[in-house]
Amino acid sequence: MAKIAYTLHVNGEDHEVYAEPNLTLLEVVRDELRLTGAKEGCGTGDCGACTMHLDGENVTSCLVLGVEAQGRDVLTIEGLAQDGKLHPLQQAFIDHGALQCGFCIPGMILSGVALLERNPHPTREEIRQGIAGNLCRCTGYTKIVDAIEAVATGVAH
Amino acid sequence: MTTADRPERPQYRVIGTRAKRTEGPGKVTGTTVYTADVQLPRMLHAKMVLSPHAHARIVRIEGASALAVPGVSRVVTAADLSEAIRDGSNPAVNPSNRGDALIAHTEVVFAGQPVAVVLGESLAAAEEGAAALLVEYEPLPAVLDIEAAMRADSPLARRPAGAVDRSEESAHVTIDVHAEESGSAPTNISSHVSFSRGDIATGFAESEVVYEHTWRSATLHQGYIEPQATVADFQPATGELVVWTTTQGQFHERDTIMKTLKWPETKLRVIGPELGGGFGGKMAQSSPLVSALAVIAKRPVKLVYSRKDDLLAGRPATGALVKIKTGMKRDGTLMALEASVAYDSGAYPGAPAATGALLMSSFYRWPHLKVDGYEVLTNHVSAGAIRAPGVHNVMQAVEQNIDEMARQAGLDAAEVRLRNAVRTGDPMSSGKEFPAIGLVETVERAQSHPLWQHRDEVRAASTSTKKRGVGLAIGGWLGGLQPAAAELFLNSDGTVNGVTGALDISGTNTSFAQIVAEEMNLPLEKVSITTGDTRTAPFAGMSAGSKTLFTMGKALRDAAIDLRQQMYEVAAERLEANPDDLEVDGGEVRVKGVPTKNISYERLAAITTGFGALYKPLVGRGTVTARVQAPGFTAQIAEVEVDTETGFVEVKNYASVQDVGFAINPMSVEGQLEGGSVQGMGIGLWEEYIYDDSGRLRNAGLLDYRMPTAADVPDIDSTLVEVPSEDGPYGARGVGEPSITAGGAALANAIADAIGARVPMMPATPERILRAMGKLGGSEAAGG
Repeated sequence: MAKIAYTLHVNGEDHEVYAEPNLTLLEVVRDELRLTGAKEGCGTGDCGACTMHLDGENVTSCLVLGVEAQGRDVLTIEGLAQDGKLHPLQQAFIDHGALQCGFCIPGMILSGVALLERNPHPTREEIRQGIAGNLCRCTGYTKIVDAIEAVATGVAH
Repeated sequence: MTTADRPERPQYRVIGTRAKRTEGPGKVTGTTVYTADVQLPRMLHAKMVLSPHAHARIVRIEGASALAVPGVSRVVTAADLSEAIRDGSNPAVNPSNRGDALIAHTEVVFAGQPVAVVLGESLAAAEEGAAALLVEYEPLPAVLDIEAAMRADSPLARRPAGAVDRSEESAHVTIDVHAEESGSAPTNISSHVSFSRGDIATGFAESEVVYEHTWRSATLHQGYIEPQATVADFQPATGELVVWTTTQGQFHERDTIMKTLKWPETKLRVIGPELGGGFGGKMAQSSPLVSALAVIAKRPVKLVYSRKDDLLAGRPATGALVKIKTGMKRDGTLMALEASVAYDSGAYPGAPAATGALLMSSFYRWPHLKVDGYEVLTNHVSAGAIRAPGVHNVMQAVEQNIDEMARQAGLDAAEVRLRNAVRTGDPMSSGKEFPAIGLVETVERAQSHPLWQHRDEVRAASTSTKKRGVGLAIGGWLGGLQPAAAELFLNSDGTVNGVTGALDISGTNTSFAQIVAEEMNLPLEKVSITTGDTRTAPFAGMSAGSKTLFTMGKALRDAAIDLRQQMYEVAAERLEANPDDLEVDGGEVRVKGVPTKNISYERLAAITTGFGALYKPLVGRGTVTARVQAPGFTAQIAEVEVDTETGFVEVKNYASVQDVGFAINPMSVEGQLEGGSVQGMGIGLWEEYIYDDSGRLRNAGLLDYRMPTAADVPDIDSTLVEVPSEDGPYGARGVGEPSITAGGAALANAIADAIGARVPMMPATPERILRAMGKLGGSEAAGG
């Protein structure tokens, strides 16, 4: 398939892409832009490891074509910390032991951030619903819910 | 979390505290590198072509159509493999083990077995080539049911083969008994083990309550979120082979490549990047094949399994068939156990028959017992390990039988367990004595847990269509043993760096740093532990079998003591003191009682490394081999609500109690209990390989292979019991594995408590629950 040139706006910066138009956003960001924080766990939108924000909304980037993201704001996990300072939810994941192998964590954190932007004060049940699209095999979720709840309630660990 | 039964012990500063994961910042910012993130210049991409047939002869493979796809560089079949083997042999010809069957040679023995690999300049090209490849098969009779496979007149799942390599299995499990390999007459039973004690007929004659049942459990996937991946770089000019791979054990991976490719270890470097979950499944699955591909192609090759590949061609955990009869006196004294467990090993050996039979019969004081374990070959995908391989299958049976007998006798099921639980020094069914264990303490804590105490109130809250119940089950794991080595170095700034070859999956590098900080009397942030690779680190066993902290933690402690002693010897000379009179504090070596007489760590580093320094560099070494296991036991309580119209189960509350010996990092240990408990819920309620009548997997995706989401499960209330082990560092026990062993059984008992009926197969899906309640016709399809 012939490559085409287009521009992606990722983490506040424009990136020139020259790639096949059938590549997914996940493939373009990982393999062309070399931002490998987003992971592929299934390629079918079921595990959430590839979660990114597109214009502030959660998407499973394995189900979005790179060309579809033209002219839109793409946020990956690499763009969440600002000026070397972790986002409060990133810090909370560390403080609460909410990460183990870490493979699902970039997607999990972005889903948590999206949830808190939609609903700044979720109940634990709402938190569980909000991250139900992100599979984690290591933690059993309890400490992940703790971390998101701590940021929502402003209670430091 | 609560910590119970913490005995008197020394005051520690760093160990026993909730240390934050040292590698956390990399993981939350997405900068941590996993195998699939590795990209090399001139790298080819590989795509496997998998058999759609469970058993078939390969008639021909026509590469032309694949090679016609632009960007496809090569099609590799089994016949090509000898190009990669140093002595020109071909491991794939009639292999005994799955590990040698890199690509199927003339015959496929499970649906999903690789029959060819297509190499392309891009993944898209390789995928397109793989789809275009023409493979012609002649289907053969497939063996798909455990019971049928065990019959003497069953067709064979595959041609009989030679000696079986069980190195992977033994790396997980340390038991002193081994199953007999099958004899000369060809059969699908590839190994068999028996244990007996007393006289089983007498045992049942003296029993007043007897319960007999047949239990099935499904084949499962380990469910790591990171699929299998390997990148192999072969440099023809130097003969160097460098391999990045998703692995729980770099040295096991290296040794497997060495044996398969006959490759000298001086020319082989295996690097295990951060691992995205293993659970027993990340052990030399793809690295020998990709190494061979790189040698054949003379270019770097990358293979990342798709999720479908991983479900079809991985090494899932065995399903099993358990037939069990148990007897008890009316006062709750267990009298007799007669049982067999048959594991569906799939097309190659690897099922935990000996472990299952041993653990099924060793957790209670059965005066009379007779158990058999069978490893049975079928034309399903061959099995590998999972967290506590084989144990959930047998605990499902034992714990439901105990529960049912207690119910029939009108006794508290926790009390029955307590009365009969094994104690320190009791014999296992193999005759070997238990070392120090805390099963009784664990069950006591579960018995007094509010969730168990309030079970009558829970049941009373049922409505006509929403039935509630509470179930309890125990489980356990004997713990793995393997030698381990570690090195520590004193840095110029007075901090300490260390290196081991152990992959950190569950926070072990943080716990290692805690141990070193404790012994060196330094704050945690002044210690850093790195996982080296097979060229840069001393030997480490696999991070498997719940032994990483148990073995390598000891090596780190010994290395720290060694480093400290070397520092004392140099300091003693400088301070004109006796080494025995020195202590470490505040980054200094001091004379006890005379804090002004001291020398800083920085100064010690300077006088052992600088130009013209008088003293040797300080390198602490710890090498250990653990000989006494530290079995860990769990007791778990589930509260469920069953919708009797839909069969849907909601887990309302869940408690997980476990003897962890000593929690070096309670936050990490809780994480193990919580994750293992939820994995156990998946086993109990949702996760299952569903095959069609011809042995094809019907649910090869994460939408249909249903792992627990955050919305499916409640918070886990974890309780750490600390009965010190004899040989673990500071009394620690392995903690990863016990947590998965009891969930399926606890849920099954809770469901039975709620609906008054037993579901004969795990997972307890809505369909099976309705059938158990007599609300649905038909019978369980063969399988599991």
